[in-house]
Amino acid sequence: MPAAIDRRSVLAGLAVCALPRAARSAGATFRLGLTPVFLDNDAIVIEQLRETFHVAMGRPIELVQRRTYQEVTALLLDGTVDAAWLCGYPYLQHRDALRLVGVPVWRGRPLYRSYLIAAPGDAAADLAGLEGGSHAFSDPDSNSGWLVTASDLARMGRTPEDFFGRTIFTYGHRNVVRAVASGLTRSGSVDGYVWEVLAAVEPDLAGATRVVRKSEWLGFPPVAIRKDRAEDPLIRRFAEVLGDLPETDHGRATLRLLDLDGFIAGTPALFDGIAARMRDVERLR
Amino acid sequence: MIRAYRRLPLAVRAPALVAALMVLAGLVASQQVLAELARGQEARLRELVRLHVDGLSVALGPSVLRKDVWEVYDTLDRAGRAGDAQRMALTVVADSDDRILAASDPLRAPVDGHLRDLAGVAAALPVDAITLASDAPRVRVLAPLQYQGRNVGSILTELDVADLVAERRRAVRALLAFNGAVTLALAFVGYVAVRRMMRPVSVLARHMGTGGADPVPIPLAQLPGGDTEMAQLFRTYNGMTGAIRARAEAERRLSERERLVSLGRLSSSLAHEINNPLGGLLNAADTIRTYPDRPDIVRASVDLLLRGLNHMRDVAKAILDHNRLDRAGQALTPEDFDDLRLLISPEMQRLGQRPVWSVAVSRADLAGFPAAPVRQIALNLMLNASAAAGPGGHVGLSVTCPDGSLTLSVSDEGPGLPEAALARLVGAEGQSGGGVGLGIVRDLVRDLGGRIEHARQGRSTEIRVTLPAAPAGAAA
Repeated sequence: MPAAIDRRSVLAGLAVCALPRAARSAGATFRLGLTPVFLDNDAIVIEQLRETFHVAMGRPIELVQRRTYQEVTALLLDGTVDAAWLCGYPYLQHRDALRLVGVPVWRGRPLYRSYLIAAPGDAAADLAGLEGGSHAFSDPDSNSGWLVTASDLARMGRTPEDFFGRTIFTYGHRNVVRAVASGLTRSGSVDGYVWEVLAAVEPDLAGATRVVRKSEWLGFPPVAIRKDRAEDPLIRRFAEVLGDLPETDHGRATLRLLDLDGFIAGTPALFDGIAARMRDVERLR
Repeated sequence: MIRAYRRLPLAVRAPALVAALMVLAGLVASQQVLAELARGQEARLRELVRLHVDGLSVALGPSVLRKDVWEVYDTLDRAGRAGDAQRMALTVVADSDDRILAASDPLRAPVDGHLRDLAGVAAALPVDAITLASDAPRVRVLAPLQYQGRNVGSILTELDVADLVAERRRAVRALLAFNGAVTLALAFVGYVAVRRMMRPVSVLARHMGTGGADPVPIPLAQLPGGDTEMAQLFRTYNGMTGAIRARAEAERRLSERERLVSLGRLSSSLAHEINNPLGGLLNAADTIRTYPDRPDIVRASVDLLLRGLNHMRDVAKAILDHNRLDRAGQALTPEDFDDLRLLISPEMQRLGQRPVWSVAVSRADLAGFPAAPVRQIALNLMLNASAAAGPGGHVGLSVTCPDGSLTLSVSDEGPGLPEAALARLVGAEGQSGGGVGLGIVRDLVRDLGGRIEHARQGRSTEIRVTLPAAPAGAAA
């Protein structure tokens, strides 16, 4: 697992060449909300992320995690957190109140896909082949972990509840992979980026699943802020740090851990594909 | 088995019993150790399962109430990664309707399946009844899932007890090896010790068994030390051997005396037999001397002399035959009975008795029997009968050979054999008193493998000796 070795060596490096404490502790705490769009349960990733922003922004960083997308979105909307790494779907749901501050670039593009996965021995060739089985979604507010499959079904005139024998929410993309790998459910809807990272760092887990179908490319889960705080210097600084991550050692180490190339400002148009799917689902309701 | 055991000598049986008891004690001890081990293992297992179930109940209660499949699975999955949980091969959580919410291995217990449909659920035990009685590597336990004081579902746990079963097997093997070795060693020591203790019994039994009529006292060196029961027993035995020897010596002397008495009587009657014609012969010799010139008288006297001398020659020959050493081993012939008649008749004539003589046998019938002992038997019985019959009495001898055997029947009209004499004739060795030569008869008949019968009918006493057919060539 080369990624793990990288992580540890980077952390060790960080400990050795720590910056002066004065620079770190100055100013009010910046709160960043995190949804389970990435490997949120990896303590090393979280710590690396916190340390990177701490160093870059020169102030303490609090990473706020909640179980559901909805909770994190609510924290952003009510101002409890200054920024949040959301998913394209909740961003679009609240696009009037929110503004993009950075979109991750993965494999050269700010795009990702949703994967439909099943057990390696499962004969299903497409979504239709999974009818009647149990299905694991990540989160009801996740694009790749719910909306994509739900909208595909909507286009077939079906809902997840009547198409699948049973649906469960695991509140984490890695959990979806676990659910399918263990046989708890027959299939699952998962973030393609997460699945690919898992295939590299936890090949045994990802290897216990098979990608049945990949969606079209959609806007990568973005980092958003409240529109009314767009001019806040702290927010502006955060946006700069986000964009400059590839420029610093800490930033590069963090991006390497996340398997990302960097962050771009991004435009709402990136999420048109998701918006189209939202409409399809809404129509069926 | 038991019969075979009972046939064993005491000196083997007692140590074997001690060894068997040692083995039994070893088995009981092993059983106790194993039972204690099983109790310990079961208590450990129950405690583990109780902790497992209690911990899961606390963690899963809310999720089970909400029927949150993922949370239940996630908890089971994470709990299953704890080091202590490796024993839980499978944990299944079901709601209050026994519908499966999640299992640590969903492939074995699919979500929404029914708990009852799982293999082995029917045999699942409550926590308090966990047992390792069967050597099965898996044990299933069914426990209620309690949350806030009420049953909200149930937890089925499949325990992997292969290591405990293996541990028990190892313990059984170790116990078998160790206890087996110790028990065998103890059994051996016990066997040897008791065997040593029992050795004097073997010595005593050997001496008593081989001594027969001539028991040998146990040498003082072999006497057990101290004044134990065994030493007393040995001394008593040695005292008894002395008594038996003294008695045998007395018997031998009595027998010798009997022989002499018998000989004396026979020789006195024979002296009569020789003496009786002597007067006539001397008269004939005188007559010849007185009338040497009367040829008719001389001829008649010489005839008389010849007859008398011939008779005396016959008598002398019969005596010689009866006592000749080289007759030993010769076969019996009808002439032997003629000799007997010649030997006994002077005594009978002296008493005015008339013998009733019936020898209905051929030479071939008698060829299988030895002459000397049979003659001795018949002569002694006849002498006894003659003495018993008294003057003018009736004495009979009948010799027959039915079915190859030889029967001598001697009868008289005497008053019958006194009790002591009869006992001497047909009883065991060592009887004494009454009857001359009867002890000799008894010994000779016994040596020839025959039997003696006594019958008293009216005024007649009959003693019948039956000798079995001897093997061919035995008399040669």
